[in-house]
Amino acid sequence: MEGFAIVLASEELEKIQAVSIISSVAAASEIPIEIFVTMNGFRPFEKEVVENMDFEGGRAAKAMMEAEDVDVPLFTEQLEQAKTLGPLSIHACEMTMDLMGKEMDDFVDLFDGKLGVSGFLNAAEDKQVIFV
Amino acid sequence: MSEDYNPDKVIDSREAACPGPLMDLIGQVKSAKSGEVLELKTTDEGSKNDVPDWLDKAGHELLEVVDQGDYWSIYVEKS
Repeated sequence: MEGFAIVLASEELEKIQAVSIISSVAAASEIPIEIFVTMNGFRPFEKEVVENMDFEGGRAAKAMMEAEDVDVPLFTEQLEQAKTLGPLSIHACEMTMDLMGKEMDDFVDLFDGKLGVSGFLNAAEDKQVIFV
Repeated sequence: MSEDYNPDKVIDSREAACPGPLMDLIGQVKSAKSGEVLELKTTDEGSKNDVPDWLDKAGHELLEVVDQGDYWSIYVEKS
């Protein structure tokens, strides 16, 4: 087991939340995780979107945002905590950022850096790939 | 009985949903010394079932899961 490389291409909150939960527990258990954020996957990381909780999503996302009796930590908090506990890196797809005219400053402070497709393939070489 | 364990650390993760309690536990287990006993308090039934699976894999000992009525106490000994 060399860990997982996760391609996050969806903007739906329930999907990114599932990625965050699995990644966080894996990394905290010393299972290496590389998350590659690309395409629509960037939107939930935008500072404005996070501040306003302006997420897209389906039934589970709505339940999560409306939950009052349970405290579901947002993926941003989970990933931040996980990075302090184990091997978890988050890469930003350079091509998508150029395409959308985005800078690193537009996003919450979770990214380790930008990466192109070759860089991602190198990082994923010895890992199981999950596409979300 | 819960009193018998006399935990070195108590982690109160009540009201937190998956994977909050597990993440809290992992963080505290990492900084604990070998042989120390930790008590994790959780109201999340999923965590009650999932924490033992993590302990199994991570190699720490599950001492007991105690039903406290409105929450569970999971007693763990760091290996």
